[in-house]
Amino acid sequence: MRIIGPDELVFGVDNVKACETFLVDYGLASVGNGRFTALDNTAITVREKSDPSLPAPLKTATMLRQTIWGVEDQATLDQIEAELSRDRAVAKAADGTLSCKDDSGFELAFRITRRTVLNLPAELINSPGAAPGRAVNAIGANEDAEAKPRTLSHIVYFLPNMDEAARFYTDRLGFVVTDKFTNTGPFLRPQANNDHHVLFMIQTPDYMQGLEHLAFHMQGPTELMLAGSRMVKKGYESFWGPGRHKFGSNWFWYFNCPLGTHFEYDADMDKHDGEWIERETALTKEASQMFLFENVEKWSPGGPPPDAK
Amino acid sequence: MMPEPQFLCQLDEIEEGRSKGVAPNRRGRDRILLARRDGEVYGYVNTCPHYDRAPMAWKKDEFLNADGTRIMCASHGALFRIEDGVCEVGPCLGQVLRRVDVFIREGAVYGVNLPEEPKV
Repeated sequence: MRIIGPDELVFGVDNVKACETFLVDYGLASVGNGRFTALDNTAITVREKSDPSLPAPLKTATMLRQTIWGVEDQATLDQIEAELSRDRAVAKAADGTLSCKDDSGFELAFRITRRTVLNLPAELINSPGAAPGRAVNAIGANEDAEAKPRTLSHIVYFLPNMDEAARFYTDRLGFVVTDKFTNTGPFLRPQANNDHHVLFMIQTPDYMQGLEHLAFHMQGPTELMLAGSRMVKKGYESFWGPGRHKFGSNWFWYFNCPLGTHFEYDADMDKHDGEWIERETALTKEASQMFLFENVEKWSPGGPPPDAK
Repeated sequence: MMPEPQFLCQLDEIEEGRSKGVAPNRRGRDRILLARRDGEVYGYVNTCPHYDRAPMAWKKDEFLNADGTRIMCASHGALFRIEDGVCEVGPCLGQVLRRVDVFIREGAVYGVNLPEEPKV
């Protein structure tokens, strides 16, 4: 099944204004009707939690109301409809979007992706022994870089039964497990995306079920740190990072937000194909990251003037 | 011997129905949150019981839900009663924020049992 990845996440929130401000400061574009888009048109949508157009909430604290998956074509939508209709109600909207629940009770939708194909430069670096990444006289440290999220990268669910939950995605929707934290959960990628993961699961008691975090891909580590330090400067609460994960290799920086989840900037994630052999290890601090830093106040070196006694 | 009360902020720096982070550690992160409701000021350690190092605001001084009736951990949306710090919904259901005793003297808010700052 040619599923690409999360196309849009829909939230029902208690503080719409705060969420709108946060999403714009995070770097998404407000396009109206509660939608905020990355450069490729993947999106976050926020509505007042009592909005009747939203799917019903979980009984937990999570504000996530629907995960919309983007697929390549109508044939994939037809396959999904045929497969999932075998054991659950699958609704079909006028525009062809399918909606149903997964085996954990998360509200899902599937549609032909609305994302655009990006054609943008990677972060360009100069590395001894390699051909220069940037032209001579081209500057690397651009404080005015826009540092916009490029595309919705992945989501992470808290859920009570990781094995049952993962089987829904692997056996019914063709996702592949790339790596796994024993007793915590698997990293999953769908067939039309070779990113290390678009979905990760953390096994928890049922009263915790919800969205642990979501992430957008940035150009590279420099834009990730530029965007994150701008958030800190605006007074937002850094939760974890910057650092670099081991599984997936992605750089990370997580922020608290009024949508009641963590918003991560990520960059430079590994890509895998069918040749990849899944790794597994216990989730520990060591396994969780290669290194971890924390933003501190700026500083500069210096000494007294030469004529000082 | 009782430790000396520590000055936290002026009372008029916290509006009714709002919150404030105070007592920053050496890295500038607020160790204590104060919430003001019905004229009373309540103090708690700024760590969600769900994780061992989880600051709770989503932005400087923003610790409450939209209508100011609950303390909200922005990490995962857990809601705590302002008056006793009990988590009513969320990943730390039934757990309690660590209380900091505060009192008001001459328009200023003081805390008396602040947690020690961890060694950096």
